[in-house]
Amino acid sequence: MISLTSPVRTVAHGWPAGVKLGLLCAATVGLYALSDPRAMAAVVAVVVGLYALPGRVFLRTGLGRLWVLWPFVVILTLWHAVTGALVEGATVILRMIAAVALANLVTMTTSLSDMMGVMRALMRPLRLPLRVTRAVEIAVAMVIRMTPVLLEKGLLLAQSWRARSMRRANWNIVLPFVLVALDDAERVAEALKARGGIATDEANRHGT
Amino acid sequence: MTSPVAPSRIALTDLAFGVGGHEILRGMTLSVDVTRLGIIGRNGSGKSTLVRVLAGLVAPNGGQVRINGHDLARDRRAALAEVGILFQNPDHQIIFPTVIEELAFGLTQQGNTRAQARDGALAVLQRFGVSHWAETAIATLSQGQKHLVCLMAVVAMKPRLLLLDEPFAGLDLPTKAQLARYLALYEGALVHVTHDADDLAGYPDCLWIDEGRIRAHGPTPEVLLAYRAAMQRIGEADDLAHLAG
Amino acid sequence: MERDVTLIAFFAALIAALGLIPAIPLGFGVPITAQNLGVMLCGTVLGARRGALSVLLFLGLVALGLPLLSGGRGGLGVFTGPTAGFLVGWVVSAIVAGLIVRHWRGVSLTVSAAVGALVGAVVVSYAFGIVWLAHMLDRTLVEATGMMLVFIPGDVIKAVIAGFLTASIYKARPHMVLSRR
Repeated sequence: MISLTSPVRTVAHGWPAGVKLGLLCAATVGLYALSDPRAMAAVVAVVVGLYALPGRVFLRTGLGRLWVLWPFVVILTLWHAVTGALVEGATVILRMIAAVALANLVTMTTSLSDMMGVMRALMRPLRLPLRVTRAVEIAVAMVIRMTPVLLEKGLLLAQSWRARSMRRANWNIVLPFVLVALDDAERVAEALKARGGIATDEANRHGT
Repeated sequence: MTSPVAPSRIALTDLAFGVGGHEILRGMTLSVDVTRLGIIGRNGSGKSTLVRVLAGLVAPNGGQVRINGHDLARDRRAALAEVGILFQNPDHQIIFPTVIEELAFGLTQQGNTRAQARDGALAVLQRFGVSHWAETAIATLSQGQKHLVCLMAVVAMKPRLLLLDEPFAGLDLPTKAQLARYLALYEGALVHVTHDADDLAGYPDCLWIDEGRIRAHGPTPEVLLAYRAAMQRIGEADDLAHLAG
Repeated sequence: MERDVTLIAFFAALIAALGLIPAIPLGFGVPITAQNLGVMLCGTVLGARRGALSVLLFLGLVALGLPLLSGGRGGLGVFTGPTAGFLVGWVVSAIVAGLIVRHWRGVSLTVSAAVGALVGAVVVSYAFGIVWLAHMLDRTLVEATGMMLVFIPGDVIKAVIAGFLTASIYKARPHMVLSRR
């Protein structure tokens, strides 16, 4: 499955993922401490500048991913126009855009495997039994592997519905879809067990 | 056969298996040293269930199963060394998103470190002449290629006995031929379950399962002759309309 | 253990797949995504614990950067955005729905699952969603609720559908509806 990491290589791709996430947390908290609209505008300008650094493709993709915020921008603008507090509204809108844009920036410059590395590091201090961390890793891999498989089966179901119906598939296909997933899960659990399952000899494995 | 194959001993004593009061296998008794064994039977004859019982994935309700002396339903550690199983549908078997992860998984399960598992997986890829597949996403492979990934993943674990559950179902002839060639070279014993008599060329012995019982066991040509004749008779009658109890 | 992990992973994949298949028309022309229908089913079919783990796993993968939310959204941005509260609410909604199905035995499974999904996905999930929305956009809770009112009818319908689906799944695969164990 294709992740949201940008194929455009940036300097930040090489930074440790933990550092990027730490900076993101600090910056997001910092955004809520700011209340001056000019300062907030400056922050957004800096963020857009960061997006522009790696070039036009990166900038366009990044700004495109902010597009989902437009309904909120419209509603907030209308709201504040009516109440006459446009300056205050600008701060809120800019803060929202900056918070989402910064977080997306981390996602775009961090590979999936680096993110998983952080996840593992975060789980380590919890001192979970090895079979639990193992179960998490297998589950993560399985979702990535099975989502396209299930998606394809869902589209096939919709197709075979359409082939015999005047109308488009509706929620009726969700039932067979869930049953397919349940049956597949049973088979996969069996195959997993056939290769030793999850709770095998713990002392034997000392992988990192 | 080019390389000597180490035989595996399959011993069934009055084996019975059922789910929710529905009997699937009954009264199976057999004791054989297997190098290449075909198991043939119609859809629903119980042959897939037999494979699961042989692999120790489910425990029998009655009787005994021993593979090379081990009770694999109890002793899962031994099961990993004794049997590997290749399922019919690769999408039910492959649990990791990339080829190398899938192959390395079984090896870490056998107690190897991650580095050893990765090396082992790469070695198997090289042996099959597909080293360039290592980082490939499973989702981008063709159906036949996925079958090969399953085969490599099981072969990597070097089980003494490899169980094949309809491994060629739905594959085109060239893909089938290529997979059969890889299988023929396997150093361990093979049990090949199929409903297609043509798949069993090169298998000296054959077991015919019918309605959960052993109907015949012997040299493949003889068993297949009887099987084909019976299938022809049933095909001329009409049992498709019958519903199971 | 293998079966639990596999079911949890498959339901996470199911939530993703339901969000990625084209929006399903609800009957009166309004196409909506079935993604949170998947979340409801996690609770009503898998039960509180496994259902919540499944939703958590799904959200974890979204956070890692996979575009699994409906419309192909994902990444850390959705957790700092205005609708982040709903996502967190999903986890709790699966727990609530699972508990209701498990403990409310006096009625048919259709009813308890529909009510479970309704309380989980509409009451609980909206509570989290609206509190975060109000905080992020600096609005009062009433104002934030007003912004989300349009989505409630669709979610109520989905909760009813979840009830019927859970009962049908129970009829087809009784041993796999773990919320009733």
